[in-house]
Amino acid sequence: MTTAERVVFEHVTKRYPGTGSGNPGAVEDLSLEVPAGKICVLVGPSGCGKTTSLKMVNRLIEPTSGRILIGDTDVMSRDVIDLRRGIGYVIQQVGLFPHQTVGENVATVPRLLGWDVARRGARAKELLELVGLDPARYADRYPSVLSGGERQRVGVARALAADPPVLLMDEPFGAVDPIVRERLQNELLNLQEQLAKTILFVTHDIDEAIKMGDLVAVMEVGGHLAQFGRPDEILASPASDFVARFVGADRGLKRLALVRVGDLELARAVTARPGDDAAAARAHVADADPPFLLLLDEHDAPIGWIAAGGIPAEGTLDASRATGMSPLLDRHTTLKDAFSMLLASDVQAGVVVDEKGRYRSIVTADMIAERMRPQAAGSGAKASGSGAKASGSGAQTPGNGARTADGS
Amino acid sequence: MIDWAWLADHLDELAGRTVQHFFLAAAAVAIGFVISLALSIWAVRRRRLRGFLVTVSGVLYTIPSLALFAALVPVTGLSIATALVPLVLYTLLILMRNILAGLDAVPSDVVEAADAMGYSTRGRLVSVELPLALPLIVAGLRLASVSTIGLVTVSGILGDRFGGLGFFIFEGHSRSFPTEILLGAVPSILLAIAVDLVLQEVQRRLTPWAAHRMDVMPATPTGAPGMLGTGAGTSSGT
Repeated sequence: MTTAERVVFEHVTKRYPGTGSGNPGAVEDLSLEVPAGKICVLVGPSGCGKTTSLKMVNRLIEPTSGRILIGDTDVMSRDVIDLRRGIGYVIQQVGLFPHQTVGENVATVPRLLGWDVARRGARAKELLELVGLDPARYADRYPSVLSGGERQRVGVARALAADPPVLLMDEPFGAVDPIVRERLQNELLNLQEQLAKTILFVTHDIDEAIKMGDLVAVMEVGGHLAQFGRPDEILASPASDFVARFVGADRGLKRLALVRVGDLELARAVTARPGDDAAAARAHVADADPPFLLLLDEHDAPIGWIAAGGIPAEGTLDASRATGMSPLLDRHTTLKDAFSMLLASDVQAGVVVDEKGRYRSIVTADMIAERMRPQAAGSGAKASGSGAKASGSGAQTPGNGARTADGS
Repeated sequence: MIDWAWLADHLDELAGRTVQHFFLAAAAVAIGFVISLALSIWAVRRRRLRGFLVTVSGVLYTIPSLALFAALVPVTGLSIATALVPLVLYTLLILMRNILAGLDAVPSDVVEAADAMGYSTRGRLVSVELPLALPLIVAGLRLASVSTIGLVTVSGILGDRFGGLGFFIFEGHSRSFPTEILLGAVPSILLAIAVDLVLQEVQRRLTPWAAHRMDVMPATPTGAPGMLGTGAGTSSGT
């Protein structure tokens, strides 16, 4: 398997004849680095130059100035045909060859590279399995009989055929319905865990960008890079009004989807077991927040909450008093889901349990709010500001490099 | 009425003339196709050249065939060239229009994908664009063949060495002998129909992928007679 390669934009500018900067599709002094094996999503409104940027990597469009490196090699220094055969490419309309079977389509680049028939066939079969299409059923069909989702899977298989270190995807899931899109997104993320390609992914959908990207580059019309960073950083501290508007007023909620319950610090509720002394428990709960007692069974599994006022002054605790229940969460639950469940629950605290159902900690709305505050995100939020700055001015080159490029 | 005895006596000659007729038409369409294909590939992405070529072929198409055969006699004499040149010229408009339309009909996303996967320009043309243009190209060949088979009869004006079945028509006309006219006309029509059917089958076999998508194959390609009329009218106006 080929190892992934980093992709670096160094002061890349694309202007179209007859106009200055600012016309649709132009790109202005774009500098960013996508580390090997990461997904970088280019996102922005139409005309922001995101597709242009993508197409400059495989030279479907050639930059006016600046350099694009794959690994350490300038793409302009390579033979254009060789370059393209080493880069996977997936587009919204898929662009399958209607006159070739699915198997032949997938084996396109291997065929161009001169692989023999047996090896091509084996590779096509392997890839169709990888994208979840049964080769026995699909290999000999023509694209015209496939559904949109199936076509897009074949498109991804075709792009991966020669095991390229870099994959370019231009709104790959833009033409399928939302349910299929969601499934294809998840499949691509799963695939990426095995493949670890460097992927540049273009979309106009900020939700898709946040979901798919290890890194997100927000571009604005005129081809300027408005912000570059991890999705969480961009949502937590948008670098400009434009980015804030683009990610949306609900960016706080969107961030919740990026953090999981397991990422929170542990917090404990006051707990007791049936049969424990009621007066002691009552004393403990008196100044607890939330003012509830969590009753656990002998295996540490939660039974339910007893409100402070509902604890008897004397005697022992018993399970029948534990009436209030709240969401059961696990480490993988997103804060968005947790928060949503908390809104509907009697007790404003979710109970986090482990795989065996044993109580581990609690999650409250206050804890979630605390975690999402920029200061609380701490170094992350701070770093995003400086990170965006560094990328904006060209992390890979000294400052005077920027001036040279501007001057040319 | 039809003189059956005369017909029976001339079956050998009918066979010979039919073969001659077929080969004249086939040669004209083949030469016309090679020229049209080369010109179309050259012109397909060159807007002005393309307009020029389509206009010129349209103007050529407006020249009455009888006049063209006659005009060539002083230049090329009573040679095979005199018969073939007009036949070839008349195929150019139909074939070029269809080849260009076929190449235009290749979806842009398919072309982009081919480029991005590292096809050379020539590789893309041969492996992607021409195969996808085939339905329209073959449609053009069918039209050109049918119209050329009809036109070959006119070349009978050049004498009995050319004209195929057209010879019977001219001779029958000068002798006021309807049987002989029919001996020229009916086999000519049957030949045209037969060739059309054969080409239709060839197209079906060459484009198995299109079996499920008849909807994308226009039943009336751009080279249809109605289109030709308008095309020629526009052209002669310029």
